[in-house]
Amino acid sequence: MTMAEAAPDATDRPGRPTLTPSLGAQTAAMSRRAILALARQPSLVVPSILFPLFFAALGASAFSRAINVPGFPEVDSYLDFALAGSITQGVLFGSTVGATALATDIENGFFDRLLSSPTSRPAIIVGRMAGGMAFGAVQAVVFVVVLLPFGLSIEGGVAGFLALVASATVLALAVGALMATFAIRTGSSEATQGAFPLLFILLFFSSAFFPRETMSGAYATLADLNPISYLVEAQRELVIVGFSASAAIQAVLVPGVLAVAAIALALASLRQRLAAR
Amino acid sequence: MTTIDRTDTATPTERRTRLGDAAVGLARRNFVNLTRLPSAFLPALIMPIVQAVAFSGTFFAIIQIPGFPTDRSINWYMPLAVLMGCGFAGVGLGFATIRDVEGGFHDRLRLTPAPRMSLIVGPMLTATFRAVLATTMVVLVGFLFGARLTHGALGLVPLYVAGLGMAVIGAGWALGLAFVFRDMRGAAIMQLTLFVALFLTEAQTPAFVIEGWLDAVVRVNPFNNILRLARMGWLDPAMTWDDAWGGIVAIMGLSAATIVFARRSLNGLSNR
Repeated sequence: MTMAEAAPDATDRPGRPTLTPSLGAQTAAMSRRAILALARQPSLVVPSILFPLFFAALGASAFSRAINVPGFPEVDSYLDFALAGSITQGVLFGSTVGATALATDIENGFFDRLLSSPTSRPAIIVGRMAGGMAFGAVQAVVFVVVLLPFGLSIEGGVAGFLALVASATVLALAVGALMATFAIRTGSSEATQGAFPLLFILLFFSSAFFPRETMSGAYATLADLNPISYLVEAQRELVIVGFSASAAIQAVLVPGVLAVAAIALALASLRQRLAAR
Repeated sequence: MTTIDRTDTATPTERRTRLGDAAVGLARRNFVNLTRLPSAFLPALIMPIVQAVAFSGTFFAIIQIPGFPTDRSINWYMPLAVLMGCGFAGVGLGFATIRDVEGGFHDRLRLTPAPRMSLIVGPMLTATFRAVLATTMVVLVGFLFGARLTHGALGLVPLYVAGLGMAVIGAGWALGLAFVFRDMRGAAIMQLTLFVALFLTEAQTPAFVIEGWLDAVVRVNPFNNILRLARMGWLDPAMTWDDAWGGIVAIMGLSAATIVFARRSLNGLSNR
């Protein structure tokens, strides 16, 4: 009897020693692989750090006088206002990397080998997302550290900063899972990257860069309906107003709900892919 | 002996394909690729449209800044999106060239008796076609979202001139990088440099609003002149030659520089 045949018996029958690692151990192993993959390919992740910083620097200079237009909240500089948008932008764009890697795994057959092993399906998905989550947290820290010398101030203090990092981490999970859905459905890294304009639309049709109060017409309606607006506004409150439990909860809850929905979508896509075989 | 005699009597025009014919042939091949691989072209067409709409919506309030040269944010952001789309139309040809270099097809092209310059002019012809398509699409969508020509249909001329110029500049730059790097490493540099060059201008707000380091960069960035040329027909101030010539000179200078860069890089590729 081969190991592959023995494994289901060993896990199904109580009392027998299990040959399959626990769900936690599997997820940890998959996570470690995903994080190492990101760490070893800095060229893939550096742009999603540099671009938001570039835009923040650009905005601070170009929109310095725009903070006086009606509807703009009281801020010392556009940089304070822009931090939340920069974090969200970085996480949105950075999270495509993990999904593209998943699509590459599908293209080169590694994903099939994982599926043929007694590995938990959620561990495959969540483990792959862990790299993106770790990167999302790193992005939030880097943005704050880099922008602090340029006049950024976080009114929420350390607690506000930690809430921002937590929010970025959960958002990375949500976006990573959403993009993983594309990866699983298409099985193509090119098609997964091709979904990038959707993230662009999600970001720019929100209050990430300008307050909703300054928008009008259909665009304002779209920004009202876009959950990214509520995420960014909670993060922004932590930066320009101060720490409050409601803002911190909103900053984590909005991406949390999105993450649950996106993971469910990704798992459903995985089930469909397996059923189609 | 007889072989040498035969070679000496043949005229160059009999032995070599003309530049125009070879360039058109290569351009035709690229057009066919557009229809066969639309996924490689459609993002470059859709993104400027999305950008025009998204920017004019999200930054709608900037028109309230006293002295802003238009009362429609789409009038301000649409020419930027056109230039972005046209520039990336050129860059797209750089991607295609990298694929040809990696796949070995470019080696075969260089072995043909076609003039070397046709390997640059051909993709540029395609880039200009794509630029016209992108400009037209963005303008049509812009009209739907409220864009209006403030000085009549004549205002379209500088926009198309600037767009075509950006396509040539983008193609020249991208081809040069494709020949230098010969793999997809060049693709990231093509996109990044063009993107940064276009955003280090009055892309988001007019010069009188910009403060700090960006103000100094905008003053010396030739792409800012091209952007001003593109916007001429969409802003309130009258269209004057004073606003146009800087953009035209920038297009000519940058086009010449990038074509020379592409040609030298192609020579370098052949000499390897």
